[in-house]
Amino acid sequence: MAHTTTSRRPRGHLLRAQAILAAAAAAALLSACGGVEVRDGDDGATKQASGPLKLAVVPKAVGADYWNTVKAGAECAAQRAGDVTVQWDGVTTETDVEGQVNLIQNFVTKKVDGIVYAATDSRALAPATDQALGANIPVAMIDSGTSPQPSGVPLFATDNKASAVEAAKLLATELGPGNHDVALVEFQPGSQTNTERVDGFKAGLAQFPNLKLVGQQPSRSDVNEARRVTENILTANPNLAGIFAANEPSVLGAAQAIQAAGKSGKVVIIGWDAAPDEIAGLRNGQISALVVQNPFKMGYFGVDKMVKHLRDKAPLASADTGVTFVTKKNIDSPEIKAVLEPSCANPPVQ
Amino acid sequence: MSAVEATDQSQGGALNDWLRERISHALSEFTAATALIVLFIALSFASPYFLTADNLFNIGAQTAVIAIIAAAQTMVIITRGIDLSVGSVAALAGVAGAMVVRDLGFPLLAATAVAIGVGALAGLLNGLLVTVARIPPFIATLGTMSVGRGLVFIITGAVGVYGLPKSFQLLGNGEIIGIPFAVVITAVVAVGVAFLLSQTRFGQYTYAMGSNLEAARRSGVAVGRHLTYVYVLAGVLVGLGGMIAASRVNSGQPNYGISLELDVIAAAVIGGASLFGGQGRIVGTIIGAFLIALVRNGAVLLDISIHYQQVIVGLIIWAAVYFDQYRRRRLESRG
Repeated sequence: MAHTTTSRRPRGHLLRAQAILAAAAAAALLSACGGVEVRDGDDGATKQASGPLKLAVVPKAVGADYWNTVKAGAECAAQRAGDVTVQWDGVTTETDVEGQVNLIQNFVTKKVDGIVYAATDSRALAPATDQALGANIPVAMIDSGTSPQPSGVPLFATDNKASAVEAAKLLATELGPGNHDVALVEFQPGSQTNTERVDGFKAGLAQFPNLKLVGQQPSRSDVNEARRVTENILTANPNLAGIFAANEPSVLGAAQAIQAAGKSGKVVIIGWDAAPDEIAGLRNGQISALVVQNPFKMGYFGVDKMVKHLRDKAPLASADTGVTFVTKKNIDSPEIKAVLEPSCANPPVQ
Repeated sequence: MSAVEATDQSQGGALNDWLRERISHALSEFTAATALIVLFIALSFASPYFLTADNLFNIGAQTAVIAIIAAAQTMVIITRGIDLSVGSVAALAGVAGAMVVRDLGFPLLAATAVAIGVGALAGLLNGLLVTVARIPPFIATLGTMSVGRGLVFIITGAVGVYGLPKSFQLLGNGEIIGIPFAVVITAVVAVGVAFLLSQTRFGQYTYAMGSNLEAARRSGVAVGRHLTYVYVLAGVLVGLGGMIAASRVNSGQPNYGISLELDVIAAAVIGGASLFGGQGRIVGTIIGAFLIALVRNGAVLLDISIHYQQVIVGLIIWAAVYFDQYRRRRLESRG
């Protein structure tokens, strides 16, 4: 290994060697390239019809409750299919777009049999998907797709816009007749999911002239920030009657702000997602309703359909994984329970 | 530090100190380089996918931005400063470069110049805040970090800059005879900065200021002006890095580079730079950057979760600095 000896030369302290060394260090890894030139190899072109499969499943970020449910769904599908290994890995924040590109590339070079992932940025990740497809690794998207979404790459996700329209209707129903001031706590302006929910909510709101949107602020997916912006909205609009908060941290922060202002139950909160604290808020009346996605089904479908594609050559087709509206009334029904506390024994994948 | 502070000793003593300094540098880089080589060999055995051209290509391309910005950080650290604004400035530069391509139809080279210009301006601002306004570097660049991120969101409306031509990807995803273009740029930057620091008066002044600012001032170094140059040059590199990062994802990302400053400080420290100033070399920093990148790459190949990756990087930082201190102490006690 020629690069090994080059990198060791710092021992001899030749002044002039320093500059060369810097280049050597940067090029050290590359010098090995020459020795093992296998680029454009045709390996991996054909997949085993049966036998063990190794799939990479990549969330937008690791750590959130939501993504852990995706993981549970993915592992459930892998377990049911048999002889399928799921490698779960992700970046630590959803804003680390470049980190996710790197991660997908690393899985491509690892030559996993299939990649199931949720794009942190729809357009920035499109080349990474192409790279995987170019290496004959099929890709399935969950939760968030890419733009463009190549043909043959399915998306298993919530129809955010349609669901947000429903959320607006639900808010109108909860508030009843009369004029009401409402506010919107969004999370990451510019992100596709956020845009879809905001657009959907506003489209839904447009059907109710008695509801007036008086505030719209982003939480940047941070509970503290959500609380802060909600407090400010409340200060500016003391008659605020309803809030739509578009994701978990936004809901929790909004609920805390409403509670701190002593207006729990007086201000209607329609939230999104179903973290334990949100469920608790629903039960004690701080939150009126939650739009609950089915992340378990996303993970399950991603892996299940991918395995069927690899083993039975089944075509990969997109599917809406649906939402459930959870209220204090229906929270204990069996169907809602299956979505809220998904388990592989009774997976909510119908 | 010791070598420069001890220059009032006899000729022989100074020579000794100079030698000791050299050996100490070589050893600390040797530690990091050894770790890099050991990890490289271990990964070659541990994963059949590691030592493939595709994977090495990826590692190179993935490390380039961190390495370039870490080189910038190293220069600042040598002066006993710190630049917390690198992530924000890189995002600002990348977004600016992407916007002039999309909205004004700039060719890639001109857009890169714009990005570098944005970086240089931010560097100039940092430099003036430190030297003229006399705000400590930590605070000055903390302010720039916040202002920079805010500006990114203002000019983009918090929406990514998309719709760029495929050619925009050249810097980040292009290749020359199988070598990532970004790595070639990194090598050129590394050689250039290493040369500046080790072979020129600029370099001597930089180390001298970091070792003892007052001594440097009294020996006639125009400290204020010179320190500003260092921040400007660092800004130039950060701008370039931001442009490459934007190119890698074929878009200007307003959220790019959050906590990037910590990654690049880690690379510099692993490579032997001291936050007390006066020490640090580019070759060490580049090694540090690749060491972190290898850990991340290896973790994916070996199915080690991201949580452990972070723990491992932390352990490497501790170990690198500990061994570095240990060697220095031994060298000093021997004299």
